[in-house]
Amino acid sequence: MASTEKITVYNVADLRATTDDALLNYLNSLGLRQSHTLLDTRLALGFSAFLLSAACFAWDYKLGFESTKQYTLIAVILYTLLNGALTYWIMFVEQGTIYAGSTKDGKTRIRVISDSKKPQQKGEAPLYKLRVDVEDVKTKKVQKIELERRFSEWFDASGRFVAAPFQTVLAQGIPLVGRLDPKRAVAAAPASGGQGMIKEQFAETPGYTAEILDAIASGLGESSTTAATGFSANQDAGKKRRK
Amino acid sequence: MLSGLANPRQAAVQLMNFGLILSTAFMMWKGLSVITDSPSPIVVVLSGSMEPAFQRGDLLFLWNRNVVAETSVGEIVVYNVKGKDIPIVHRIVRKFGKGPEAKLLTKGDNNVSDDTELYASGQDYLVRKDIIGSVFAYIPFVGYVTILLSEHPWLKTVMLGLMGLVVVLQRE
Repeated sequence: MASTEKITVYNVADLRATTDDALLNYLNSLGLRQSHTLLDTRLALGFSAFLLSAACFAWDYKLGFESTKQYTLIAVILYTLLNGALTYWIMFVEQGTIYAGSTKDGKTRIRVISDSKKPQQKGEAPLYKLRVDVEDVKTKKVQKIELERRFSEWFDASGRFVAAPFQTVLAQGIPLVGRLDPKRAVAAAPASGGQGMIKEQFAETPGYTAEILDAIASGLGESSTTAATGFSANQDAGKKRRK
Repeated sequence: MLSGLANPRQAAVQLMNFGLILSTAFMMWKGLSVITDSPSPIVVVLSGSMEPAFQRGDLLFLWNRNVVAETSVGEIVVYNVKGKDIPIVHRIVRKFGKGPEAKLLTKGDNNVSDDTELYASGQDYLVRKDIIGSVFAYIPFVGYVTILLSEHPWLKTVMLGLMGLVVVLQRE
């Protein structure tokens, strides 16, 4: 199903934010349970720092500087510590994680870190990079998967996000997701939409027009071609394109 | 970006980021205040009473601790007249006595007479407590923006309008 919101295809931050949101929705819709600990800790740190500064503002405003100097000094030190802890948390613990969760039975944990990269050559679509850590809780073994695809694979020329090709990329790239969504795991691997040329080819012959994407969205799963070894086929296609 | 607001946690993070910008700016000001021990560690010169040393619009940095020596004659200090909120930047020209209870007399370099008339009625001298800091550094002209904004309030509306325009244009 195609989203009706359009975003600017030239704004990499928007592309990534929309894709991140779609990833969250998709993973949650598959029955994975999202763990909010990372975000909650960040919120707790940030809001307590903010409340501290609000309190400092209040007593300074009401009682003046001289009489509250000592408290203000303590508040400034505490605030610096809290802010430092928050920065540490974001930089070293979160590290750009956009999704952390586990399967319903609790046996497997998954963590997704996303990033974007400007294209190597002018005229190519920017890249969406994913690092996925899948951990087996019992054996503590972590499977690290790295995916790097172009945004043009799931955004059409006018900036609409199409869920199906994106979900296929995830289902075929991450075995855990493929297990939870077998329909997408054997779907037609998305062609490198637009062949990487946003400016010219999107205008003339886009890899995916809106009609093609809608057709894929509605009739998916039956007409698969390269399907059988979908995962490895994707990998090869990816390697070829990176040149 | 607006779609992120559908999720309450994401909305909370956005709100928190905005709040943290404000609170960090405020805490940095308060930190400077605590370090210098002055309620207002950075002031703008409002009048020409200290010319040629300071002009209107100069930004002054204050230090309010007597670590090495007491506040002495010749120092340029900032004080608030009792009851009024306007900081005055003048030089100490006389000192009677020693310690925190010493009586201090100030005068602007460019003024004919000393500040006796400026002090509150019944007050003939300042004491150390009245002073909110001595000037130890300054940047010329930078503070003129604040003077313009307070003397021509319509400028504030223009500035806000311009900033709003920039934000809207960036979204597109």
